[in-house]
Amino acid sequence: MKLNIDGLLVYFPYDYIYPEQYSYMLELKRTLDAKGHGVLEMPSGTGKTISLLSLIVAYQKAYPLEVTKLVYCSRTVPEIEKVVEELRKLMDYYTKQTEAKNDFLALALSSRKNLCIHPEVSALRFGKEVDGKCHSLTASYIRAQHHSNPSQPVCQFYEEFDAVGRQVPIPPGIYNLDDLKDFGRRKGWCPYFLARYAILHANIVVYSYHYLLDPKIADLVSKELAKKSVVVFDEAHNIDNVCIDSMSVNITRRTLDRCQTNVETLQNTISRIKETDAAKLREEYSRLVEGLKEANVARETDMYLSNPVLPDEILQEAVPGSIRTAEHFVGFMKRFLEYLKARLRIHHVVQESAPQFLKDIYEKVCIDRKPLRFCAERLRSLLRTLEIADIADFSAITLISHFATLVSTYSKGFTIIIEPFEDRTPTIANPVLHFSCMDPSIAIKPVFGRFQSVIITSGTLSPLDIYPRILDFRPVTVASFTMTLARTCLCPLIVGRGNDQVAMTSKFETREDFAVIRNYGNLLLEMSAIVPDGIVAFFTSYIYMENIVASWYEQGILENIQRNKLIFIETQDAAETSMALEKYQEACENGRGAILLSVARGKVSEGIDFVHHYGRAVIMFGVPYVYTQSRILKARLEYLRDQFQIRENDFLTFDAMRHAAQCVGRAIRGKTDYGLMIFADKRYARADKRGKLPRWIQEHLTDGSLNLTIDETVQLGKHFLRQMAQPFRQEDQLGLSLLTLEQLQSEDMLQKIAQIAQQA
Amino acid sequence: MFVCVCFRCESCVEMLFVRGSGNCVQCNTPLRKSNFRVQLFEDPAIDKEVEIRKKVLKIYNKREFDFSTLKEYNDYLEQVEDIVFNLTNNIDVERTKQMMEQYQRDNKDIIQRNKAKLTREQEELEELLLQDHQDSEQRRLETLQEEQRHLQAKRINKQALLDELEISKLPAAVLLAQHKDRASQLETQIEKQKQNVKPANIFSTGIMMGQTVSLASVSRVEEVLYVYQLLCIDTYGPPVLELDQLGRLGYLNHVRTASPQDQAGGYTSGLACHRAIQDAFSGLFPS
Repeated sequence: MKLNIDGLLVYFPYDYIYPEQYSYMLELKRTLDAKGHGVLEMPSGTGKTISLLSLIVAYQKAYPLEVTKLVYCSRTVPEIEKVVEELRKLMDYYTKQTEAKNDFLALALSSRKNLCIHPEVSALRFGKEVDGKCHSLTASYIRAQHHSNPSQPVCQFYEEFDAVGRQVPIPPGIYNLDDLKDFGRRKGWCPYFLARYAILHANIVVYSYHYLLDPKIADLVSKELAKKSVVVFDEAHNIDNVCIDSMSVNITRRTLDRCQTNVETLQNTISRIKETDAAKLREEYSRLVEGLKEANVARETDMYLSNPVLPDEILQEAVPGSIRTAEHFVGFMKRFLEYLKARLRIHHVVQESAPQFLKDIYEKVCIDRKPLRFCAERLRSLLRTLEIADIADFSAITLISHFATLVSTYSKGFTIIIEPFEDRTPTIANPVLHFSCMDPSIAIKPVFGRFQSVIITSGTLSPLDIYPRILDFRPVTVASFTMTLARTCLCPLIVGRGNDQVAMTSKFETREDFAVIRNYGNLLLEMSAIVPDGIVAFFTSYIYMENIVASWYEQGILENIQRNKLIFIETQDAAETSMALEKYQEACENGRGAILLSVARGKVSEGIDFVHHYGRAVIMFGVPYVYTQSRILKARLEYLRDQFQIRENDFLTFDAMRHAAQCVGRAIRGKTDYGLMIFADKRYARADKRGKLPRWIQEHLTDGSLNLTIDETVQLGKHFLRQMAQPFRQEDQLGLSLLTLEQLQSEDMLQKIAQIAQQA
Repeated sequence: MFVCVCFRCESCVEMLFVRGSGNCVQCNTPLRKSNFRVQLFEDPAIDKEVEIRKKVLKIYNKREFDFSTLKEYNDYLEQVEDIVFNLTNNIDVERTKQMMEQYQRDNKDIIQRNKAKLTREQEELEELLLQDHQDSEQRRLETLQEEQRHLQAKRINKQALLDELEISKLPAAVLLAQHKDRASQLETQIEKQKQNVKPANIFSTGIMMGQTVSLASVSRVEEVLYVYQLLCIDTYGPPVLELDQLGRLGYLNHVRTASPQDQAGGYTSGLACHRAIQDAFSGLFPS
């Protein structure tokens, strides 16, 4: 259908539209008009992706000069492919309606592992191996050697692409990963490099977060993206953690040992090259004397996305004299390495700030701050000069150099924690140096700074105001949308007590309490008797799950449950888990029904959907707080308190609730779907916890469902399930939660729609 | 000038230097036992290098502001690095040592002067550390004081309410409302009272004590001053009449007279006429 969104003609590829989708598009349009950033929350299963795509594509078509590109960031490869398929639907609709030839180019980009078509390289199993092998076939000097010596192997796909592919633009269309591979095979071009080259002039790019947030990758892939792009982060409820991870460095003893070999290799290569080809080193030297002016010019002329690992001051200065020649630099790295080794030989935990670290390093090994800051850049230049083929081997020393640059650049927002052993095994020495970023805004700052609109969206972003605070940006629109429903198809219940009136909670003090464990068991048992098909239960951690399941087994509860349904368990092993999932689904298909025991923050809670009969009830045992004793978390909480005035408790609760919401949201994946959401902990009934749930769940939490016993839960659940099991047709939805074009245009509907979005 | 940089284990040292001093077995340099140190790093070469480096840096302690350009400073740094490299790897040791001595003689003053000074970067670091320390201290004090004040204020307030309820003749609801007001006032007062712990070692200008301040005069920016020149436009046409002559020469007779509304805004018919003539006359002659 064709919609009129605030004066913009939007083609929507379906015959019906949800009211909240319309409202979502309105908000989105306002954000784009204002050229600002937005935070939008809309429940999962209400067609967020297609609303986003159709509005932004329409905007691009209407104002091709205002918005030149859409960069859509998602988390996993299946999600990326889903987005591209939606886009394909939209584009087909466009061609059908306008009958004009489509001139849109949209493509997905993923790692070499997913795109390579080289017969030998693509057979490798791990991403790192593929990258390394690819690099050893396509690096510029390898290809130069190939010219003089044809026996040197190169990748014929890359050669072909390099020879022809750059001149001929890729024909407009929608390219999923497989389409790219097909296209590459037909032409004999490398799909990966083709995609990387094509994103520069593509209208829509769909890729993973890391291509934009991880400074090391962003520098390679995304730095030339146009300023007038719209960037969308979908499923962005974990974006702060992604940012933090991308800037943090963990150094173990093994890293250092590998680094040691790297340094030795470097030294040998240098002495070898010095004998054979001293001119090359001299050339590099004179380039370094000149400084990194080139990069500076490029950044000033606003061509590149800035890189937080390459701070601005570096670009304006020349490389300090002490690390200018290759030998001196290797000596410098050696000293740094030895210093780190010495630091790791400790017996107690040390936490210090970056300035303290720098001071200590000066006293111990006379390393100044300035050369440290240039370390990453200098190493890169050296590796280039030495023509080292397998970059993957040098990951250890690259990591160390990044650490050096970061630690000397940022005096705030980072902390260094050296732990001599892991918390779980205090007897085994396994020293780790955590250089942990506490400020997610550092990694994402260039993105907000460069692109004209950045949209952060997800099904669970509540409370909305915390994201702008921790990511440090000013959104122009902050809105949360509810789900309009023809029938209340979600039923959140908070169970606070067992039938024996003992409070149910996963609080630390009562974790081992027999009564609590028994009550949890009873709850699951009762639910397994009344809920048809699948039940998914989430625990707060693996250890907690193991303990509980063990004592359920002893008490015989497990046996009773198994009379009703089969039980499957998520483990830390990915293969085992996917096996369990598969069998779980099979059991659900059979009609026998099954229970999946899994863990909040685990794989199941993040990426797996339990549509329809795969998840008729979700039970959340306890509040999924993070492990609060970890030093990294403590440091981060302290930082949040000091810098952003976010209290520790607020953040912990926020973090726990977003994961809880994420877990229970797995069951409802659309309007025809239905499911029970059972929060089994009395703490959920408190206003501070409840208030942090997304609005679309909160709305259905009545006072009557706050502090229930197991009996009451069973009653309510039975009633709800019986009601929901009645046949539900599309006509029932029409006009209420599903609109045709005529219905949409009616006056009172528009008024209703205006109430859906709640500005925060 | 260097202590020998050979390595041996603790027990050997004990044995060889029973008397407290003696010659090194490997390189025959006279040594003292007290000069031996525990090895800090895994690679003994690094220990040696750091040792040498510290000595070299004591002599070569020029700072960035001792040089006029960055390039010179970088060249100097490289030179230092070369010396360290040569000494650790036993290349040209004699010559290098001579060079160092020469340098030491030449630059006695600077070396002396710079001894006490830290480099700018180090100063920055120190400052940051100090600030961190102060901040955390201040925070700790603040939270402590705040808690205490809070507790006390609450206690007093409660007592006052009880007293009033006992004595006063006003209805209880009014008293409670008053109490609430007072409580909120107290909160704001507490907020205001938060005092700052002033750091002691900062001059009133905000500069740290003991920090080097560059006293060099700010380099003057040489610029050519702007000179006004009369604007001269070549219209490639006959000269246009002045605005005030138009009425006199009768041009205005052929133009629509301005209505009173137009004139209120400052418009006269002469303006339009003048513009039209300008328009008509320009570009008539070939350039």
